[in-house]
Amino acid sequence: DKKMTNDNLNKLLVFCVLFCAQKTSIVHGVQALETKVALLLHVEPENPKCFAEGTSDLTCFWEEDEERAGSADQYSFIYTYQNENSSKCAVTALPAAGGKRLYFCRLSQTQLFVPLDIRVFRDNLLIHNRSLFIEVVFLLDPPANLTLTSTETQGQLKASWLPPSLKYMGDSMMYEVSYTMAGSHIGKVEEVQASSELILRGLQLGTKYKVRIRVKLDGISYSGYWSAWTDPVLMETMSDLDPLIVSLSLVISLVLTLLSLIVLMSHRRFLLKKIWPIIPTPESKFQGLFKVYGGDFQVWLGHSTGGLWLRPAYFYSKEFPAPLEVLSEVSLGPALPSSALPPKASEALGEEEDEDKKLKRAIHQHPAPQTQSSLLESHDAYVTLNAQNHSGEEPLDNIL
Amino acid sequence: SFHGLFAFLLMLLEWTKPGLSNPLRPICDLRVLKHFIEEARDAEAAMLACKEGRGLPEPVTVPQTKVDFNVWERKNALEQAQEVQSGLWLLNQAIGSLRATVTNTALHSHIDNSLRNIFSIGQVLRSLNIQEYTPPAGGVAGGEETWRVSSASELLQVHVNFLRGKVHLLLSNTPVCHQGSS
Repeated sequence: DKKMTNDNLNKLLVFCVLFCAQKTSIVHGVQALETKVALLLHVEPENPKCFAEGTSDLTCFWEEDEERAGSADQYSFIYTYQNENSSKCAVTALPAAGGKRLYFCRLSQTQLFVPLDIRVFRDNLLIHNRSLFIEVVFLLDPPANLTLTSTETQGQLKASWLPPSLKYMGDSMMYEVSYTMAGSHIGKVEEVQASSELILRGLQLGTKYKVRIRVKLDGISYSGYWSAWTDPVLMETMSDLDPLIVSLSLVISLVLTLLSLIVLMSHRRFLLKKIWPIIPTPESKFQGLFKVYGGDFQVWLGHSTGGLWLRPAYFYSKEFPAPLEVLSEVSLGPALPSSALPPKASEALGEEEDEDKKLKRAIHQHPAPQTQSSLLESHDAYVTLNAQNHSGEEPLDNIL
Repeated sequence: SFHGLFAFLLMLLEWTKPGLSNPLRPICDLRVLKHFIEEARDAEAAMLACKEGRGLPEPVTVPQTKVDFNVWERKNALEQAQEVQSGLWLLNQAIGSLRATVTNTALHSHIDNSLRNIFSIGQVLRSLNIQEYTPPAGGVAGGEETWRVSSASELLQVHVNFLRGKVHLLLSNTPVCHQGSS
């Protein structure tokens, strides 16, 4: 008993699952049909409106106002292929929006590439008459699995999709890809034939795009209506300033800058010499020539001690000759010479011992560069050491 | 003697030339057929626009153009090929006879174009190793796959539908063209 109950429960569970799955697919199918009906009501002027979804089917329908509408039994759908006998199709009715009724007829076995005559009667009164080729009224389901991927090139996106799986018609399919910037109403459309992908070019960087696609048969052997648009797919294109790239470039440039600075600093003297060589100037050898006399050499020469340039050694001495010469007493007579002796005279005097000693003493007390500058004519003042003030000329004349 | 030797070498090369059985490369591009279909449509439109010479002196036999995919798929490749080849032969006969009855020069060029295209389709089928049709001796082929038309516009419509239908199906599903693809 328990086993039987279990088996029954299992069967019930399986039945429920199948029923639910079928219900979902039925709901989905009804939604798809509703979309197609709405589409055809909009684009097809003739009645009845017919469309094929696959290689062996045909669905026809027409609309009637609620007032004139009758039950499905009142209608007859008669179809005749060229060179064949007529056949009848069962009519079903469905309520539609806006107080209308829709009447359907569906054929599950069809012939293509041959004219098909359709006549619709309501209570034996002909209301619709149409002749068509089934292969030119295809209304397919939109392509599935629309996906967007980035490409290596900036400003591009690759759209790919799954083509409708219809035998013999893959090469005859035409796709329209519509892409717009998210939030904008202005978009572009591109067509592609017998393909399952398309590269969208010329897109703005760092922008979100909304892409959708629809399918139609190309019209050579097979033709039909544009399918409904797929649900839009969104994707953002690569931005110009990828954060990773920006940060890496900053780091690299920083490192390079530091390296170059280090190199520059270590070779700055060499570089300075090369870039800004020191122009040698003779300023240091000519004291005051440029700063005081403005480069006027003659003026500078005149103001400086004469004959300087004949005595190069003088340039290097920092000592100026003392303007004052102090002579010692020279006892030649009672009267001591009052005047200072010139260097020549002093040398001459040095022959005599006493005088010599004294003179030497005097000279030694005041050693002066006069010993070297014997050639110089001194115009400086002489200072005598004795009390008497005689003219320095007389004793000198005597001595010499 | 040099000329003689040269001629002899040429003859030898010609004789031993490889691929003598099928010198044609398979023509798999369907754009060729699409072009023919468009030209056949133009011919039909031109005939419909022209008011003279609509009726044929006597009915002509033309192939059936209808395609039921379930039935078509049940046929093997040979049967499909034979159906197409016999149909093309019939059309060639019928359109050839139409030319004599039409006086309009514009229609003449359309008809000549159609005949040239039928011949070209035959070449395409030959390149795909599809056997040529041999008409039965002593008369026109009849049977299930044929019917008779009595107007020129009907004939040209049959021509269009036959190319769009059976010929296109055969060429788009030939095994030779799908060998390299997955």
